[in-house]
Amino acid sequence: MTGQSTGQSTRQSTWYSTWYSTWHSAWKEQPLSFKLSSIIVVLVLCFGVINPFISYDPVLDVELSRRDLAPSWEYWMGTDGQGRSVALRLFKGIEAFFFPGLIAGLFAAFVGGVLGALCGYFGGWIGRSLSAVLELIDTLPRMVFLVLICTIFPPSILLISIISSVLFIPSIATIIRRKVEALGAEDYILAHVAHGFHPLKIISYHILWLQCRALLTRQMIFVFSYVLFIETALSYLGDYGVQEPYPSWGNMVAQSRISAVAWPWALPALAIIITIAALLAFGDGIARREEEVKR
Amino acid sequence: MSEQTLVDVQDLVIEFDTPKGRVRVVDGVSFSVSPGEVLGILGESGSGKTMSTQAILGLIGGYPGVMGGQINLNDQGVTYELLKDLPSFISERRGQPEKNERAWRKHRYAQMKKLWGRAITSIFQNPRRSLDPLMTVGQQVKESIQARESHKDALERLNDQAQTEEALEWLAKVQMVDPARVYHSYPHELSGGMCQRAMIAVALACKPSILVADEPTTGLDATVRAQIVHLLQDLIKAEQCAMLYITHDIREMLYLADRVIVMRHGKVLEQVSANDLKEHALERHEYTQVLLDAAGMIGAHDE
Repeated sequence: MTGQSTGQSTRQSTWYSTWYSTWHSAWKEQPLSFKLSSIIVVLVLCFGVINPFISYDPVLDVELSRRDLAPSWEYWMGTDGQGRSVALRLFKGIEAFFFPGLIAGLFAAFVGGVLGALCGYFGGWIGRSLSAVLELIDTLPRMVFLVLICTIFPPSILLISIISSVLFIPSIATIIRRKVEALGAEDYILAHVAHGFHPLKIISYHILWLQCRALLTRQMIFVFSYVLFIETALSYLGDYGVQEPYPSWGNMVAQSRISAVAWPWALPALAIIITIAALLAFGDGIARREEEVKR
Repeated sequence: MSEQTLVDVQDLVIEFDTPKGRVRVVDGVSFSVSPGEVLGILGESGSGKTMSTQAILGLIGGYPGVMGGQINLNDQGVTYELLKDLPSFISERRGQPEKNERAWRKHRYAQMKKLWGRAITSIFQNPRRSLDPLMTVGQQVKESIQARESHKDALERLNDQAQTEEALEWLAKVQMVDPARVYHSYPHELSGGMCQRAMIAVALACKPSILVADEPTTGLDATVRAQIVHLLQDLIKAEQCAMLYITHDIREMLYLADRVIVMRHGKVLEQVSANDLKEHALERHEYTQVLLDAAGMIGAHDE
């Protein structure tokens, strides 16, 4: 009760400790699907980070004498139509979508968040004209537009990811704008104003960081998985994705067309499905947890 | 306006556009508050008491909102005439006065940013909704200390450690049972009464010269209400802060307020000292007598 006994503050709560406690409580209470998905996401993250430090040589080692081998101790997942280890190519294939996906996700979440906050905060003609431009972008069919871009420019996964992140900015900005508009009428935001907090701090910290963090994370993960998806689709449709001989999960599926046996598509396809499902479940789990904390 | 007045409101008019046409919510309200004084505003819901105080705080968002009158706010000897330039933002359109809302909001923000927190601040009705749900209570108190310190010169500011300690002191001052624990709790982990205490700490940590308390005890149960009222009275005295206390509960009013104004349908019916309200109940305005009667307080002084 007295000043002396409370003088020394106990634990300081910092941004990483709140993240940790969010994650930890999510881990304890979430269903099995969330636990599985977060394990897969962490694996993908670790593989993605160590990937650039590993040489391409064994992945590119073509040897037609050992083509289409079944799984063995030497080749865990067998070999493909050109005698290259499927396990190694799957592993190295993460590099194809990992950094482009990260860049696309971060870019879309950042620009979408800032634009949404501006639209919601300013309203008026600034907000209206920004929303009009964003809605115009939103009417573009994503897939068709990306195929169009790929036929015009030389294939580049970085270009694809940047374009797809731009295509996602409007939907993120709309979500954030609605949130900002709804929060503007909340008592506690009015109280912050009345206590003399700087409006920039209210909008960037109290609204964007505290309230929209989970939403933005989920959207970021969604864009990340979309890059993986679109790379697969474009590789299969017309070799617009990562080019042979460099491996990506998409062109591994595409390459299985020239294989003599029926099954090589299965492993990369399974990897794609599991990773996308895990990413989406992970994003939802985090977002749901933060929603619960608010109540 | 004399040197001794903190807030002086003259002929305040507030109007709103509704689907049924323009409605006058506040119609020529005048009152003033001196330093250290507690002015109570008494009235039923919809009598315009909240709107008048929101106008002083500069928080009215609707259209057209404040349409006329004068609000003078005194901050450390300097008087700010908040509505001085209002007429230049009002134009005529189809026989109706209309306000350039955006320009007015900008202008008002430029005026109020020096005054919010320092000269005037507010606590609201619903304690749970007026605290940030995603921040610990301690951080919120600390934040308002930070906002206060940011007005000072860089050399005079308190450092981070001192701010944390002051936030803990504030939690102790509002009689939290375990300040160190409450410091790290989120609003949803606290009861309604504790949330309102925290809110009082957040508001008073700004060191305002006038605090607007907008029905701070609504939605709390009777014992907690009494505690909050006592706490407010003690703290207001200790901090030498004036208060505008809005309520429809006449008992709280008689306990807390020095002077009371009674409002109905956007007009001030009468302005009396709390003592007169108690002692000479039968000489009061008809409507005031109805309010006193509703609280069962007229008979007691009659006999």
